[in-house]
Amino acid sequence: MYPYGADGPEQPDWAGEDCNGTAQRFRDADLALDKLWIYYYGIGGDIDEVSLDAYLHDALDIPASQVSLIATAMTEMSEGETL
Amino acid sequence: MTAYGNSTGGFGFNSGAHGLPDVDMQLLDMVLDNGDITAFLNDLAVVAASRLSVPGNPVHCGVTVIRHKRPEAVASNDAEAHALDELQNGFGDGPCLTALHSKAWLLVPDLATEQRWPAYVAVAKAQGVASILAMPLDLAGEAEAVLNLYSGRSHAFSPDDIATVAAFTNQAASAIRLVLRITQLSEARSDLSCALKSRTIIDMAVGAIMAENRCTRETAFGILTKASSTRNVKLREVAASVIASISGEKEIDTYFDE
Repeated sequence: MYPYGADGPEQPDWAGEDCNGTAQRFRDADLALDKLWIYYYGIGGDIDEVSLDAYLHDALDIPASQVSLIATAMTEMSEGETL
Repeated sequence: MTAYGNSTGGFGFNSGAHGLPDVDMQLLDMVLDNGDITAFLNDLAVVAASRLSVPGNPVHCGVTVIRHKRPEAVASNDAEAHALDELQNGFGDGPCLTALHSKAWLLVPDLATEQRWPAYVAVAKAQGVASILAMPLDLAGEAEAVLNLYSGRSHAFSPDDIATVAAFTNQAASAIRLVLRITQLSEARSDLSCALKSRTIIDMAVGAIMAENRCTRETAFGILTKASSTRNVKLREVAASVIASISGEKEIDTYFDE
């Protein structure tokens, strides 16, 4: 899942508590989980729908790169765009 | 109280009891004939209205559903019913919305003596409505909808009529749940096929960036997302332009067997 760079395996950068704005945004957005997951998957997301659900309910830490993809998905969806 | 609401518990729902032997088949045909839920609800309103209308006393039927937490008149058998539904949704209160929220049917036998919802009742009376029957559809939490029947005559809905409508909406609710399920599945399916196409382009661009910069996938993704957010261009479009700049290919096809 996390490819090896020149200096050996790169440690995923865990998002931790700071990025929970994404989870809050999801709760405010009135967005269906399955729709978000499909969009997020479509732009290259790597975690499955159940893990996404857990992350959005503050029950799971995921890599920062995935958080940023979730945020991107929500932004693009809120602009009324479809894939 | 001039109006009385009740749960539907007292009525038998087997179709034969209320002279509805062919309704099941009719509803099934409507499910198969209609691609989307709005068309189905329109057909439903037409069937309900024609079933209850008698010569000299036409019944108007509208369907209101909760969409994005707000009531919306989505289907009707005629423009009059649609206008009456919209009117009530505009007021934000009325017999049909009360029935919708309480999940129990509600009858206003005579608008002239109705004390509740004064603002709405006054306007509805002016439109020539004398009695209203609101029958919520039990959609098992998947959606909320109410079937609204309006008549120009007071006491237009007999206990028999109410039982008929209750049995009818009960069967219609199952059909609606089926339509909703089908709609959701076909929507999810087309979303997924779009996602597959989009993901192919993005994965390809990420691979290209990895090769060019000798970096990890995560770094390549970072470059792509940064370009997307600083230029305010969708991730997929940035990815497509990366591929185009390398190979000149404008269209990337995903083999997806439908």
